[in-house]
Amino acid sequence: MKKWLCLGLCLISVLAQAEDKKIKVFAAASLTDVMNVLVKQYGQQTGVQVVPVFGGSGTLAKQLEQGAPGDLFISADEKWMQYLKDKQLVQVTTIKPWLGNRLVMITPQNKPLTIKAEASTDISQQAPGYWCTGDTLSVPVGIYAKQSLTNLGWWDKLKNKLVSTQDVRATLSLVERDECDVGIVYASDAQSSSKVRVAGEFAESSHVPIVYPMALLPQAASETAAFYRYLQSAEARKLLLSYGFKPLFND
Amino acid sequence: MLTVDIQIHQPYALTSPLDLHARFELPAGRCLGIMGASGSGKTTLLHSIAGLLMPSAGVIRSGDSLWFDHKQAVQLPPWQRPVGLVFQDGRLFPHMSVEQNLRYGMPAVLARIVLPEVVDILAIQPLLKRKPSELSGGEKQRVAIGRALLRQPSVLLMDEPLSGLDDQLKQQVLPYIKQVIATFGLPTLYVSHVGDEVAEVADEVFMLAQGQLRQVVD
Amino acid sequence: MWNLSPAELAIVLLSLKVAACCVLVLLLPAIGMAWLLARKQFWGHALVDALVHLPMVLPPVVLGYMLLVLLGRRGWIGRWLYEQFHIQLTFHWWGAVIASAVMAFPLMVRAIRQALMQVNPLLEQAAQTLGASPAKTFLTITLPLAYHGVLTGGILAFSRSLGEFGATITFAGNLEGETRTLPLAIYSLTQSPEGDAAALRLVILSVLVSVAALLVSQWLERRLLRSQR
Repeated sequence: MKKWLCLGLCLISVLAQAEDKKIKVFAAASLTDVMNVLVKQYGQQTGVQVVPVFGGSGTLAKQLEQGAPGDLFISADEKWMQYLKDKQLVQVTTIKPWLGNRLVMITPQNKPLTIKAEASTDISQQAPGYWCTGDTLSVPVGIYAKQSLTNLGWWDKLKNKLVSTQDVRATLSLVERDECDVGIVYASDAQSSSKVRVAGEFAESSHVPIVYPMALLPQAASETAAFYRYLQSAEARKLLLSYGFKPLFND
Repeated sequence: MLTVDIQIHQPYALTSPLDLHARFELPAGRCLGIMGASGSGKTTLLHSIAGLLMPSAGVIRSGDSLWFDHKQAVQLPPWQRPVGLVFQDGRLFPHMSVEQNLRYGMPAVLARIVLPEVVDILAIQPLLKRKPSELSGGEKQRVAIGRALLRQPSVLLMDEPLSGLDDQLKQQVLPYIKQVIATFGLPTLYVSHVGDEVAEVADEVFMLAQGQLRQVVD
Repeated sequence: MWNLSPAELAIVLLSLKVAACCVLVLLLPAIGMAWLLARKQFWGHALVDALVHLPMVLPPVVLGYMLLVLLGRRGWIGRWLYEQFHIQLTFHWWGAVIASAVMAFPLMVRAIRQALMQVNPLLEQAAQTLGASPAKTFLTITLPLAYHGVLTGGILAFSRSLGEFGATITFAGNLEGETRTLPLAIYSLTQSPEGDAAALRLVILSVLVSVAALLVSQWLERRLLRSQR
């Protein structure tokens, strides 16, 4: 009996130690494609395994608040980074604006549309169907979208037909399936899918600047710092640009 | 006139395999008593006439109406046969009042005319608004008889109607049955395993044994 | 503090509307299916039984996805509905009703079926000898004697609908005023940074609505019991 107990404990400790070799990155959903590639390249180069967790920035922040184990957090807006900062759940000195993005309107590929993001546009007539974006209370893309829509005077006309999704990828999916007539997503998301067309772009002045801040979490493993630096390398820059993001860092 | 000439073959019957042959004619105004031990097939016979079971072969005719003919593949469903079947256990509908039970088998128009007479003969007037759960055994049987009668049947089938009652109640209800038979003159089949009962009620008595229906001459 | 804001009232009314319609929509199909499973023997009986119970076993989100494939605007049936009648079920409260109905169907069928199986078939036999066709027998004898099953099934379906989340958010989506029922509204609020207080209000509201629903169902049960006596 004692022998089995010993063996069991040894096994658990080995497994626990094996856990330490993985870095967990909590990243905004819009980073799904590019982060997967970055992680793979980094793994090939250094042998360190990075596990990304994607979701709406708010959902991720709340999970981290509840004690989910993470090493690096990348939000799609500064608001959710501030949320964790206020709760002392990030290493403040490591907070850094990493990427920028643009806000666009998309339609299903077989229903191309051109929408001018101007106050003079009669949006109810131009796009009478359902609109989708992230939840305007909690998901960054939805928060930006509401700002732009309000700025253009479209908010009151569209709010009764604006469907909320839990992250930007869900919106992309709904437009791809032609369930939604118009989706508001990031330019990088529109680029990633061949099943949607960009219908128009919101002026950067119509919303708070889109900034993806990143930060190390207090319990971050020591290997995280190297990955953090890798994300700001020239190699990463090239990749991020090709996916439609705007790097805000200097190499 | 009810004409019955059927064979019922049930090799898998619960009590014992049944192989029954029944042949008789029942004119209006006559009451035919059928006796036999339990498991001899008395209930099966009545249920076949009512249409709840299909005999293996033969013919059942009521007047001009053909109810069952095996060769011609005629089997009239029970709700299309004007039979009044009084079950052994009464089977009153528990969620309906006595009056609703009585009226179940007949159109409302006729009920107004016939109901009072039947209620009178069976002396169930005070029970009309009650639920079956509030009735005694004897009262339940009288209501069951009344319900079957009000169906305006062309034949009355009684399956051991007194079997659930004690001797005193039996003595109470029997006169009602005789009165009903006498008043309405329906061809009646009365089934019971109690010889005295059958003798009192029936004009002719048959015995069902070893699958054969034989007239009893006493 | 104790007053309901118009927005909160709207959410509660939407939830009640969806739940009530869910029960109404399910009534006939559930009774029919329960009768079929309780009274009829046929080849494939076990298969039908299993399919009916599928929503109880599958994750709600999976069911929601299946509904999307079937009834979405590009779905097998949804495409026809949209092209012929311009009907879109997603993002409409009828989509929420359908999502609830699919999840609640097995609950209702089970309850009614159990009640039907307790009805004495000998009584149905007696009705037949009294001239009642199978349809009349079912409506006047079988169903009235199984009423408590229908009532229980209805209550279960109503409650299930009030609490339905996964299938609703996946199929009907989260559109304020149309499909944002209480569970979805609470979810949306818990995701936002300052929404916890508002979410708590809705949670308390949900509990009150559920308790009220249960009390009403108990009163209904007592009334029906009395009328049967």
